[in-house]
Amino acid sequence: MSAQAQNASTSGAFVTVRDLKKTFDVSKPWLERTIERAPKQFLKAVDGVTFDIKKGETFALVGESGSGKSTVARMVVGLLPVSGGEVMVDGISMTTTVDSAAREKLRRRIQMIFQDPYASLNPRWRVQDIIAEPIRAFNLLSSPKDITDRVGELLTLVGLSPLDGVKFPHQFSGGQRQRVAIARALASNAEFIVCDEPTSALDVSVQAQILNLMRDLQDKMGLTYLFISHNLAVVRHMASTIGVMYLGRLAEVSAAKEMFRSPRHPYTRMLLDAVPDLGMSGRARIPVQGEIPSPINPPSGCTFHPRCPLVNDRCRSEAPLPIAGVACHAVQEGRMGEMAARKLA
Amino acid sequence: MTQPVLSVRNLKVEFVTRRGILRAIDDVSFDIAPGEVLGVVGESGAGKSLTGTAIIGLIDPPGRIAGGEVLLQGSRIDNLEKEAMRKIRGKRIGMIFQDPLTSLNPLFKISEQLVETIQTHTDMNAAQARQRAIDLLTEVGIPAPEKRIDGYPHEFSGGMRQRVVIALALAAEPELIIADEPTTALDVSVQAQIITLLKKLCRERGTAVMLVTHDMGVIAETADRVAVMYAGRIAEIGPVREVVQKARHPYAKGLMGAIPTLESSAERLMQIPGAMPRLTAIPKGCAFNPRCTEVFARCHVERPDVIPVGLSQVACWLYDTRKEAAA
Repeated sequence: MSAQAQNASTSGAFVTVRDLKKTFDVSKPWLERTIERAPKQFLKAVDGVTFDIKKGETFALVGESGSGKSTVARMVVGLLPVSGGEVMVDGISMTTTVDSAAREKLRRRIQMIFQDPYASLNPRWRVQDIIAEPIRAFNLLSSPKDITDRVGELLTLVGLSPLDGVKFPHQFSGGQRQRVAIARALASNAEFIVCDEPTSALDVSVQAQILNLMRDLQDKMGLTYLFISHNLAVVRHMASTIGVMYLGRLAEVSAAKEMFRSPRHPYTRMLLDAVPDLGMSGRARIPVQGEIPSPINPPSGCTFHPRCPLVNDRCRSEAPLPIAGVACHAVQEGRMGEMAARKLA
Repeated sequence: MTQPVLSVRNLKVEFVTRRGILRAIDDVSFDIAPGEVLGVVGESGAGKSLTGTAIIGLIDPPGRIAGGEVLLQGSRIDNLEKEAMRKIRGKRIGMIFQDPLTSLNPLFKISEQLVETIQTHTDMNAAQARQRAIDLLTEVGIPAPEKRIDGYPHEFSGGMRQRVVIALALAAEPELIIADEPTTALDVSVQAQIITLLKKLCRERGTAVMLVTHDMGVIAETADRVAVMYAGRIAEIGPVREVVQKARHPYAKGLMGAIPTLESSAERLMQIPGAMPRLTAIPKGCAFNPRCTEVFARCHVERPDVIPVGLSQVACWLYDTRKEAAA
């Protein structure tokens, strides 16, 4: 596994995630368990996720609630300990390396932007202190004047005024707060930013401002993003590569353009079909069936099989392995034509 | 011409605060015909939800309806007594709210909640009401309704709960349904199911729907007509195709351009600079003038009213023949 990761990092991947796993213990309390003689229960939130992100690229993870997108994001930045697998950033393992000094150095280069800009900024701190915190924490600058200058520079970079630094978060609108959060993420000269639904709490017109800002910053500073979203249209706009998650596994990983032009996995097709269509092109669609099952007791075989229109006996018993980015028996057996036929019918 | 189910005329809603009177809804007028779905879109704070709340008479002090009329089937309902209004809510106007968990009582079984609603509004006995509840659940697509009806709300998933809420709203066969962000709390795949369901039920029953949402995609799929609201006023109202594809008001244009779509290949999204003004600081003239790219002298002085442009009605001086400000 490690040799494989080594290969990937030499082939230009900046972030490498290998067979990442997260299991949560959701058992009942000990006493209840003993009385009922119930076994311990585990929830596999993430079950073997593997992907690479090249430097300067945006990798997006999409999926329904409960598919494990945010759990992956949290493990990648190190907010959650992993249950298995490996995360490597710039060739340094975040999960297995004993060399904690190297890992500490790496921390500075990884930052996160959260979903809710109302909750992710300390309401009692002035914006200048919020933005200066990473600078102080990593000892990047020492003189107060340098720090003030740097904070002003960062505020200008995200489209706010250096004079805004003395204000408190409540004096800003949602979009402006998200700009502050971006400035804070950039304060430590981060190269890799994990964005967990950065615009889903914002209005569309403000969302457009933030997405444009994020793209401009990426062009200017060569940032690498891991972008989590449930909004496929936003992902289409931001990502170069997309991973579709379903019940803790990657159903499909494809180049963004490719995926929207010709989605391969039946679940991807279903998701794309479900997006309300602003163009009102009246395209044919397959009605979505069912809902995402509980990850505590996932279906056997391919976890998508109860909702899949192309299910057969093999899907019910055997979990598909990803081949060329798609984990689906129907794709591998060349049965996808049936889906198109169904669309016409 | 058939009489509209709902007619809102020059509705004004104000909030009395220490800092003076804030006008949250200012001169809003629209009609909804039988079987029609009117979509209401806009950013947070544009007054979309408040319009819905005003129609069903649920505005709490310090808010108040300061002017205008709300007509249901031609008769005024905004000046009714509390008790009379309570009878209309649920019976003639059904409501669906954003969060299906909070609109169901967690301590009562689904059956109890449905039966109670049905018995309040009709004179069925308990057995009939229960049968009717099962029929409703079947209609909204809940599998095995005979079994599921005795479950508690927490035993249902988000999408299924929203179906139950829709069943509740339909229980008394209302003439109008006000759906306030019915799909916002749901995943896309489930959202599509709920929209399809809502649309189908309304078409079959001829119920008029006021669909409040900030998701233009949902509107484009569901609504017949759209009203775009900005700072408490209607900026543009017209047939859905007309507004989505040929938006005329600069705000509506910006809003449509700002939405990333699956089809578009634009590198950058169109963006509207700035944010919506606070109610305490609504600019003079057209409320959109500080953010508008096509602003001219008259916009700073006079406030535009909706004027017919093509099939839509637009509140913008660009479409008035007289471009200068009145002397």
